[in-house]
Amino acid sequence: MSPRHVVPAATETPPGPDVLTAHGLVRHFGGLRAVDGVDLTVPPRQVTAVIGPNGAGKSTLFHCLAGAQRPDEGRIRFRGRDITRLPDHRRARLGIARTFQVVSVFPSLTVADNLRVGAENRAGASAAARLLGLPDAAGGRTRQAVERALELAELTDVADVPAGRLPTGTLRLVELGRALAADPSVLLLDEPASGLDDAETARMRALLRRLAGEGLAVLLVEHDMELVFGVADTVYVMAAGRVVASGTPDAVRDDPAARAAYLDPLAGDGEPAPGPGGS
Amino acid sequence: MPAALTVRGLRVRYGPVEALHGVDMAFPDGAVTALLGRNGAGRSTLLRTIAGLLPAAAGHLDWRGRDITGWTASERARAGLALIPDGHGVFGGLPVRDNLRVFAGTGPIDPALDAFPVLRQRLGQRAGTLSGGEQQMLAGARAILRPSRLLLLDELSQGLAPRVVAQLYEVVTALAAEHRTVVLVEQYAGEALRRADVAYVLRRGRVAFAGEPAELLAAGHPSVFD
Amino acid sequence: MLTIDLALAGLGVGAIAALAAVGLITSYRATGVFNLGFGALAMLIAYLLWQQVRVWSWPVVPAALFDVFVVAPVFGLLLDRFVFRGLQRRGAGPAEMLAASLGVLVMLLGIAILTWGTESRLDPPTLFPAGTVELWDGATVSESALAELGVVVGIALVVAVVTRYTRFGADLRAVVDRRELAELTGVAADRVSAVGWAFGSMLAGLTGILLAPHLRLDPFGLTLLVLETIGVAVAARLASLPVAILVAVAIGVGQSELTRVQLEGRAQNMLQALQSNLFVVVLLLALLLLPRMVEVGERGTYTRIPAGNGARLPALWWLPYPVLLAAPLVLSTEHLQSAQQVPALAIVFVSLVIVTGFAGQVSLGQAGYAGLGALIAASLMSGKFFGFGAVPGLLALLLGALLVIPVGLVTGWPAIRRRGLALALSTFAVAAVVSRFVFAQPIFTTGLRLDHPWPFEGEHAFYILELICLGLTLLLVRRLHAGRLGRMLIAMRDSEGGAAASGIDVPGLKVFVFAVSAGVAALGGALLGMSGRSFDAQTFDPIQGLIWFAAVVVFGVDSAAGAVLAAALIVGLDSGTQPGVSVIVVGAGAILLSRMPGGALATARRVLMPALAPPEPAADTARSTARLTPAGRAVRARVHADREARPGALR
Repeated sequence: MSPRHVVPAATETPPGPDVLTAHGLVRHFGGLRAVDGVDLTVPPRQVTAVIGPNGAGKSTLFHCLAGAQRPDEGRIRFRGRDITRLPDHRRARLGIARTFQVVSVFPSLTVADNLRVGAENRAGASAAARLLGLPDAAGGRTRQAVERALELAELTDVADVPAGRLPTGTLRLVELGRALAADPSVLLLDEPASGLDDAETARMRALLRRLAGEGLAVLLVEHDMELVFGVADTVYVMAAGRVVASGTPDAVRDDPAARAAYLDPLAGDGEPAPGPGGS
Repeated sequence: MPAALTVRGLRVRYGPVEALHGVDMAFPDGAVTALLGRNGAGRSTLLRTIAGLLPAAAGHLDWRGRDITGWTASERARAGLALIPDGHGVFGGLPVRDNLRVFAGTGPIDPALDAFPVLRQRLGQRAGTLSGGEQQMLAGARAILRPSRLLLLDELSQGLAPRVVAQLYEVVTALAAEHRTVVLVEQYAGEALRRADVAYVLRRGRVAFAGEPAELLAAGHPSVFD
Repeated sequence: MLTIDLALAGLGVGAIAALAAVGLITSYRATGVFNLGFGALAMLIAYLLWQQVRVWSWPVVPAALFDVFVVAPVFGLLLDRFVFRGLQRRGAGPAEMLAASLGVLVMLLGIAILTWGTESRLDPPTLFPAGTVELWDGATVSESALAELGVVVGIALVVAVVTRYTRFGADLRAVVDRRELAELTGVAADRVSAVGWAFGSMLAGLTGILLAPHLRLDPFGLTLLVLETIGVAVAARLASLPVAILVAVAIGVGQSELTRVQLEGRAQNMLQALQSNLFVVVLLLALLLLPRMVEVGERGTYTRIPAGNGARLPALWWLPYPVLLAAPLVLSTEHLQSAQQVPALAIVFVSLVIVTGFAGQVSLGQAGYAGLGALIAASLMSGKFFGFGAVPGLLALLLGALLVIPVGLVTGWPAIRRRGLALALSTFAVAAVVSRFVFAQPIFTTGLRLDHPWPFEGEHAFYILELICLGLTLLLVRRLHAGRLGRMLIAMRDSEGGAAASGIDVPGLKVFVFAVSAGVAALGGALLGMSGRSFDAQTFDPIQGLIWFAAVVVFGVDSAAGAVLAAALIVGLDSGTQPGVSVIVVGAGAILLSRMPGGALATARRVLMPALAPPEPAADTARSTARLTPAGRAVRARVHADREARPGALR
C-alpha cells in the first residue's frame, strides 16, 4: 500500500501549534499525589514515550491528558488553547485521539462501523445533524477517512466482521484504527503492545513510526522496552508521580536516575525501589 | 524428570469446531515449561482446559497418575493445580487483604506481602482501584500463597515493569526449585525461554515444537510460530 | 418539638423497616442479586406459617423454626439452582437480573393467590406477645418492636462477624465478585453461593414471620412493603447494616412525629402525602444525593444486555405483524375496545426498547412517564391544565407527549453518572414519587374527562389512529437504530469510554435518549388512557411498570417487534383469561431468562432458523462452554470458526 496523507489536519496547519503540552500537573487521590508536578510536551512528527514502574502515575497522567480525569493543579494546552477543563469528548473532537489499556471497542458493531463512529463524531458535523443522524456534508470525507484508517491499521480483511468476534491482538488495531479514523493530530496510546505477540508488536512499531513520519504527535505509555526504545524520539521516565529523567532513548538509557528508578532490573533488587514503594 | 501432568490426545471443541486437534504434552515435575505460540494458536484454550474451565472433547489429563479429565475447576484447584489467568486475575470488589485471604486459603498472607511490599500499603484498598500493574502483582501473589503443585501462568508479564517481571520470574523459578511444576505462557518468547527447562510451541491447535529451549533460541525457528 | 410517645410509637414501624432492609442488603451482598422478590418470599413463608398454625394446628414456635430454618433456605436453594445460577454464569447484566427477580416476585405472588386467594387473613400467628413495656413515666413501647430491633441487631452482628473474621465470609464475597476466579482459586463456588442464597432466603422467611402480625396477611402487603424499604437499603448504600437500622428507625420516628404538624389547606394534603410516603421520598433523595452505592460483582458496573440483533431477517418473518395488528378491525366493538390497548401498550413498550435496549440504560420508570402523558392529556382535554381552556383531543395527545419530554430530560440527569442497579432504582424511585404525589392526589385527578379525540371518536377510527401512532413510533425506532445515531447509541451501550474517546457527548446522548423515550412512553400512556376513556392511576402504578419492564426483557429488550408481541400477549391474556394470568406468564418467562439469552424472540429465532443465528456479542470466547446449551455451543463454534478463518488479519 502506498503511503498517503493520513492527516490533512496536521499538514494544513503549521506543525508548531499542534503541540500538546502539560505544565505542573498535579493529581491527588486522597493523600496520595499520583501525579506530582509533571511538565510534558508532545510535539508533532515525533513519538514521545512515558515509562516508569507500576504505580508511578503514568496512567493518571495519561487520563489527565485524554480528559478522562481532571488534574487538581496545572494546565494542559493544545494549539495554544487551555484545554484543562475540557471534557474527553470535546478533546476528541479537537483532534486528540486515544486508546485504552483495556481495549474499549464496540463489540456489537463491525470493524468498519467502529471506525466510522470515530470518523463521524470528529468536529465538522453540525450538532443537529449529529443528533438526527442525518448525513452531513462531511459524509464523503467520513467514508474516505474510514477507508484510509482500515488500510493503515491493516483491517481491510475484517472490515465487515463484528468486533466482538475478533481476538485481542486485532482489537488493539481496531481501537487504533478508530482513533486514526477521526483524523487526529495527537494520538495518545495506553500500552498499545499489551496482549500483542512479538510479530504483532513489530507491526505496531512500524505503524507508529509511519504515523509520526506523516506528522502526528504520538504519545505512548508502555512497558515493552524493546518497543519504546525502538520507536520513541523522546522518553520520559516517571517515578512516584514525578519525571525523574527525560531525553532521547540513548540519553535516558545511560541516565543514572532512570536506571535507578526503572530500567535496571538489578537495581534495588529485593527491596522496594525509591519510586514504586511510595507511589 | 517424571511428568507431573501429562496431556494425551487432547481435543477441545467449541461446538463442531476444534480449537485443539489432539495435543500431547508432558510437564515435568520441578521444572519450568514454556508454552509459546502466536495469538490465537490455542495457548489459552489449553491452559483453561487443564484448569477445568473448558471441557475436553477427547483425550486425557493425568495428574500424578490420576485421571482428572472429569474434575471441576475447583476440585482441580484444591488438588494443587493453579491457573493465574491473563488480565488482572483479582477480585476487584474486595479489598487487597481479602483477596490475599481468599488466595491463601488457610495459610498466612505474609509471603505475598514480603514479595510485593507495595501491596502492604494497599491492604485496605479495593483491588479494582489498584493500577494495572499492581493488580497483576496481586494476581501473581496467588502463585506464592497457594501451595499449588502445578502453576499455570498466562501472560504473567503483561502490563508489568521489567523489574517486577524479573522479580516474578525469580519467584517462579524458586518455586520450581521446590518441586513445583511451572508452566509459563508468554508473548515475550525470550524471557520465558531463558527461564524454561522445556519448551513447547503451539501452532493452530497443534504442537509445532517440543524440546529444549536452547534449540528454539539458537535456530530462531521462526517457521514454527507461523 | 419531638414527643417521646410518638417517637416510641414510630419505633415499631422503624423496627419493621429495619428488619426488611437488613434482610434485603444481606441477601444482596450474599448472592450478588438485588432480589426484588425478597418481599414475596417473606409473604409466602408468612402464609405457610399461618396455614400450619391456624389450619393444621401446629404449635407456633416449632412451626416458625421449621419454616425459617428449613423451608425458606430450601426456597433459596431452588432459586439459586434454577433461576439465578445460569444468569450469573453467563455474566448477565442488571437488566436481566432485575427482570428475573421480578419474575420471582410475580410467580410467588401467583402461587400465593392461587393457594390462599386475595382476601386478607387477620390472624397471622405471632411469636412475641402483643403487650407493651413501660420504660419510664408512662412512656411505653410495644414488646414486639423491641424484640424485632433485638433480632435485627443480632443479625447485623452475626453478619459482621462472619464477613470480617471468617474465611467463609471472604470466600462468599469472592464468589459474588468473580465466580470463575473463585473456582480457580479452589473455592467451591456453587456450594458457597448456595449457602449465600439459603441464608438470604432464611432472612426473608424471618422477615415475613415477624412482620405479618403487624399487617393484614394478604399477598400484596408484605411484598410491596419490602419494595418500600428499598430506600432504607439505598440510604445505607447497600452496604452498612448499622446505617440501615438507624435510617429505618429515623424514618419510622419521623413519620410518627409528622402526624403532629398541622398546616393549612393544600399544604396539609401534601404534608400528609409526604408523611405516608416518607420511605419513597427517602429512596429518591438517597439515590440522588448520596455517593455511589457499594455494588457487588462484575455485573455491578455495566449494563450490556445480550442483544438479539445482527442477521437480516427474511421479509416473511415480518409478515405476521401487520396482520396481527390489523385483525382487531374486523372484531366486534366489545373486543375491539380491548384490542385498543395493544397499540397503546406497544408504544409504551417500544419506549423501553429505545432507552434500555438501544442505549443500554435500565429504566424501571416508564409507567411514570406513561401516566404523566395520560394525565396531562386528560387535564388538557378537560380544561384543567394550569388555566388553559379545554384543548381538542388530538392536540392534547400531542401536547401530552411533548410536555413529558422535559420530565424525561430532568429524570435522565441521574443517568449521566449512574449505571446498572443505581440507575434502575433511580428511575423506579422517580416513578414511585410521581405515582404517590401526583397520580394519587385527588387535586390532580378528579373531574377529568378523557375520550377518543375528534375525528377519531369511533372505535374503529380510534384503533386506526393508534396504528398510525405506532407506525410513526416504529419509524422513529428505525431512525434511532440505523444510521449514524444508531451507531452512536450502540457505541455508548458497548463502551462509554470508547464512545467518549470517539467524540460522542455521552452525557448529552443519555439525556437525549431518556427524553425521547419519555415522550414516546407518554404518547403510549395518553393513548392507553383514551382507549379506556378515563385516567386510571392503577394502570400506571410503579409495580405495573416493573411488570412491563419484565415483559419487554422477556421478549427481547432490543426488539421493537418483541415489544409489540409482548403488548399483544398481555392484553390478550388479560381480556381472555382471569386477571393475573398475564402477570404469571411474564413471571414464568422472566424466570426462564437464564435459558433464553437475548429474550424469547431471539431464542425462537435461533431455534427456528439456526443459520441466521446472530453472533455472540461477548468478546471473550474462551469463557466456559461447559454449561452451554447446544444452541450456545453452536454460536461459540461459529465465533471460533471465524477466528480460525481469519488469522490473515494479523499476518
